[in-house]
Formats: sequence, structure tokens, C-alpha cells
Amino acid sequence: MSPALLIALRFLSARKRAMLMSLAGIVFGVAFFVVTQAQTAGFESYFIKTILGVNGMVRIEDRIQSTRSLAATQGSDFTIAVEGSVKYIPGVQYPNDLLGALKRFPEVTAASPVIRGNATLIANFREYDVKPYGIELASFVNVSDLDTQIIDGSLGAFSENPYGLILGVRIAKRMNLQIGDSVLLDAAGEPQRFRINAIYETGIDQVDRERVYLHLPAGRSLLNKPVGASFIQANVVAPELAPALAMRIEEAVGHSTLAWQEREKTWLQVFSVLRISSALTISTIIFISGLGMFNTLVMIVVDKTREIAILRSMGYTREDISRIFMLQGGIVVACGVVFGCLAAAAGTYALSHIPIRIRGIFASDHFVVLWDPWHYVGAAVIAVIVVMVASYFPSRRAARLEPGSIIRGSSS
Amino acid sequence: MSLLRVENLHRYLGEGDTRCHALRGVGFTIEPGRTYAIAGHSGSGKSTLLYLLGLLDIPDQGQIWVGDRETSRLTDDERTAVRNEHMGFVFQFHFLLKEFTALENVMLPMRKLGRLSEEAMRAKASDLLVAVGLGDKTRRLGTQLSGGEQQRVAIARALANDPGLILADEPTGNLDHTNADRVFALLSDIAHQRGQALLMVSHNPELASRCDHVFRMQDGVILP
Ligand SMILES: Nc1ncnc2c1ncn2[C@@H]1O[C@H](COP(=O)(O)OP(=O)(O)OP(=O)(O)O)[C@@H](O)[C@H]1O
Ligand SMILES: [Mg+2]
Repeated sequence: MSPALLIALRFLSARKRAMLMSLAGIVFGVAFFVVTQAQTAGFESYFIKTILGVNGMVRIEDRIQSTRSLAATQGSDFTIAVEGSVKYIPGVQYPNDLLGALKRFPEVTAASPVIRGNATLIANFREYDVKPYGIELASFVNVSDLDTQIIDGSLGAFSENPYGLILGVRIAKRMNLQIGDSVLLDAAGEPQRFRINAIYETGIDQVDRERVYLHLPAGRSLLNKPVGASFIQANVVAPELAPALAMRIEEAVGHSTLAWQEREKTWLQVFSVLRISSALTISTIIFISGLGMFNTLVMIVVDKTREIAILRSMGYTREDISRIFMLQGGIVVACGVVFGCLAAAAGTYALSHIPIRIRGIFASDHFVVLWDPWHYVGAAVIAVIVVMVASYFPSRRAARLEPGSIIRGSSS
Repeated sequence: MSLLRVENLHRYLGEGDTRCHALRGVGFTIEPGRTYAIAGHSGSGKSTLLYLLGLLDIPDQGQIWVGDRETSRLTDDERTAVRNEHMGFVFQFHFLLKEFTALENVMLPMRKLGRLSEEAMRAKASDLLVAVGLGDKTRRLGTQLSGGEQQRVAIARALANDPGLILADEPTGNLDHTNADRVFALLSDIAHQRGQALLMVSHNPELASRCDHVFRMQDGVILP
């Protein structure tokens, strides 16, 4: 053991109680920091997983039309939306061409055409507004988690029934509908009959209370759009690649292409603000422990002035003295980080087992946590910086002491 | 070659009104294996001189040679290294580190020098404590020893790295007559036996006269 470390340890033991207080502060600070990060990040990643499972990573929608070629599309039954100087022609007129084009992007793992519209669901003499989604089941399960969202009935029954229907759980509850019930959907004044084969729950209110899935041909017939699709939902190899890829796809195919990050920007911002603000709040615990540490070290320097002078006289350099005090900070922060991280892991584990029913933006029956080593690294870095800064000033003060004048001052 | 040589040392202390010319041209030579006393009235500059010789302070004028090395241009770290290897200090107050045992206190200078193994340091510190008559109290903390015992531990610590020169500022000033006598005898015996030089500031004329040589100081100069 180096002499500086030995002396640091002994000096620390002289102020045991004050040091333990600072240590406890750092342990708590680090643990709370990690637990709150694990929890906010847990909710965020669970939200992302949920939303990707519902709406996919990338959506290729309306065709982009420059102003000059506008005349060519007049006369078609597509409406024209104007946004800035760019014109959007709603929907995908030739989904098969587009699917073919997407095949040239190796990063695209799956793509599925969807037709979307509005309809009224009629059952038990009641009416309810829904958004029918006409899907191609075989490919749609590759761009969503529909298969795992089913809570009643089965996709198998749906796939065998051309007029099958998958209902959101909130719709089923509101309309008091069960598997096997027969309902009417009315989109264009010509009600069509469907049979409920499955009920899904995403946990996202907005979806569960208005979206119903039916087969693409049935959807086309219901919505009276014999060709085309509303959009193509696609997945890519990694979620973080979506924005760059979306830009390339948009350029290549001339359709407005939206990555999930852009689509869910508001929620993602809410989560990141939450995470940052909790990090800042919790950091104050560490910060205050740092102040306590500073205080204690200053007391030790004052306390040990004579000892420092005698150490200097027997051959310890200014750097040795400075190291003795930096090491005291180092020892405390090292213990604080180790115990803090252990407490954090225990706390995170316990938290993930606390039952809590969450519905609205996702469905969970317990706290959701994310185990991320970077949370631990982040907490450790904050603690180390705070304590090292807090130790620096007392240690510099100790190193600057003049042994001659101290010994003179205290001897005669 | 002499152990320590000083020439024409001047030192001013204090600022402004309190500024005082504490040393006014001091010069002498210290030879190994001999004991020296600095005697003089209070305020004559004895401590000031001792701190300069111990490289704890820097003269305003004049030179200090340790062996053949002139010290005025050494950096703080170099002066510290010279203290570590060549000098041992004993002060009026012992300054033991109270979180350390007697043995560990004696080992502190050796740890800094770093030339011995842990066991060798331990054995040597133990021997030194035996030499000062504390062989049975090596594991005591400073607070568990009497004033005289603490001062003897401080002497053992000053001897830890076998320094050529032991500098002592009123090492017996805080002790009763018997203990003072004992501590002085110990210092001068060890110096003679080991060929180390002892330079001791003392108010006690009886102890001073038992040294090989006495420097008499008055108003910042050494009387001839
Ligand atoms: N910090 C200071 N500022 C101004 N003058 C000082 C200071 N320290 C000491 N002096 C003066 O320097 C002179 C020498 O002081 P020094 O401590 O060397 O005396 P001394 O011989 O050791 O005295 P004593 O026997 O009382 O210990 C004294 O006149 C003292 O008043
Ligand atoms: Mg004095």
C-alpha cells in the first residue's frame, strides 16, 4: 500500500461519522439516479416497443408531386392536398410497384400494404365510429406485433374467414361484443356484415378504442377503393436506422416516408425531458453530498495542519500531501459508487416487481425498467466529478501549507 | 568534507512594521559524529536558524551546503527529498500522527524513502524503538503514551532513515528534569554511536554544555 493511501485511510477514520454521512449521500444519490433512469428509460423503451408493434418503423404514404406535373393527375379521383409548394397525392396508387421498389433496399425486412378509412360499426342496435384497417395478414404480422396483441379469439380463425374482423378491446367492451358475434360495418351507405374472430389490446387507448382490422379485399370493398392502398407499413433491420432510410426511400420512390422517430416526436420528447429532469433533480443529492465531503475535508485539513507540517518535514512532498486528500475523496467516492450501484441494481429489481396497472400509452401490469449499464456509468461519472472537485480545493490548500511557519507557530 | 556548511546567512521575518532582521550573517560548519548546541536568549534567532538549516525555510541571503550540494536553487521537491534522506527533526512538541501506532509513526519516513521492504521497515522501526527504550510499547497509539515517551518515539522517527544530521528545537523543553535528561542523553549517545551530527537548540545551559560545541547566539549573530 502506498504511504499516501495508508495516511488517507487513517485520516478518514478520524472523521468517521462525517465521512459516513457523505458516503451515505453518494450511495443514495447514485442509487436513486440509476433507479429513476432505469424506470423512465424502461417506460420509454416499452412505449417504443409498443408503438412499433402497432404502427411499424416506417410508413410510406402519400405520393409527392411537384407543381408542374400537377395537371397530369387532374381528373383522377384522388384529392389533392397542398402543403407549401409541394403537392401530396393521398395514398399509394400502385402498392405492388412500391413493394417491388422496396425490395431493392436490403435494410427493409418486411413491408405490408394497408388501406384505411372511416366506418360506423352497428351491433346490438347501437352505432360506434371506428377506423377500419384493411390488412394483408401474412405480411402485416411481420411489420407489427398483432399476433401477440390478441387477447381473445385467434388470428387463425380470422385468416380463414374473408369477412373476419379483429376488434380493439375498448370497442368490444363498449359495444359489449364477443368472439363469434356478427356486426355490420357501414362506410359508404352500404352496410356489410362481418364476424368477430379476435380481440386485440395494444394498451394505446387511441388505437384500442377505434381501430378494427379486416382483410385487405374486404377493406377495399367496404371503403369503395377497388385499387391501391392508404400506406405501406415497413420494418427495417434496426429501429435507429429508420430516419436515414426513410429519407432515402422517399427520394427513390417519390412517396412521403415517415420514420417512427418523426411520427412519435412528441412522446419521445416528453420522455427525454422526463429523463433529463429526473437526472438533474437526483444529481442534487450527489451534489449536496459533495458539499458535505468538501466541508469534512476542509475540517480534516485544519485538524491535521501540524501533522501535515511534520509529514512535509520528514520528506513528504506537496504532491504527496495533495494526493493524501484527493485519495480520501477517491476512497469515499469509490465506496459510494460500488454500494450505490449495488443498491441501484437491488432497487431496480424490486421496482420491476411492484404491481401497477398501466393503460393509455401502453399496457403493463408492473413497473417497467430498462437495465442499461450506461445509467450506472452516468451516475458514477457524476459522483466522481462532484467528489473530485470537492476534494480538489481542500487538497490544494493542504499542499500549500508551509511546514516552517506552522511548526514555528505551534512550538514557541 | 563537512556535513553541513553555512555562510553569511541573512533572514528577515514579518512584513511592514513587524519586519525584523532575525539573522544577520551567520556562518559555521557541522562535522559528522559531533553534537552541537545553539544557546541564546529568547528571540535571538535560534529557531529561525534551525528551520533554514533544515531546508524548511529559505534564506534571504547566504548559502547552505548539504555535503557538496548548494541548496539555494533547489526546488521544493528537491529540498523535501534532501530532508527525507539526510535530516531528522525533533521538535518541542512531538507531532506524532495520532491515528498511527508508535511503530507506524517511526515507519512513515521509511515509507516515503521506499528503500526497504515492509518487513525490513518493520524490523528497523522496532529496533529504533528498542533503542529509545520503548521496545514494549510499539503498538501503542500516540495518545496512549506519556509526553516523554512520545518525544522518544519522535526521536526514533527522526532516526528512521539514518540521516546524517539530526535537528532538534528544544526537544526537552516540554519535559520534566528526569525525562529531559534522559532524552538528551539518548540523542547525544545515538549521534556519537552512529556517527550522526546533532544540532540542538536548548534553553537549558546544563544540557548545552554537555554538547561537543556550543554556538551562542545574540540578536541574529553567533558570538565568537
Ligand atoms: N513571523 C514573524 N514576523 C516577524 N518577526 C518574527 C516572526 N517570527 C519570529 N520573529 C522574530 O524573529 C526573531 C527570532 O525568532 P526565533 O523564533 O528564531 O527566536 P528564538 O531564538 O527561537 O526564540 P525562543 O528561544 O523564544 O524560541 C524574534 O525577534 C522574533 O520576534
Ligand atoms: Mg525558538
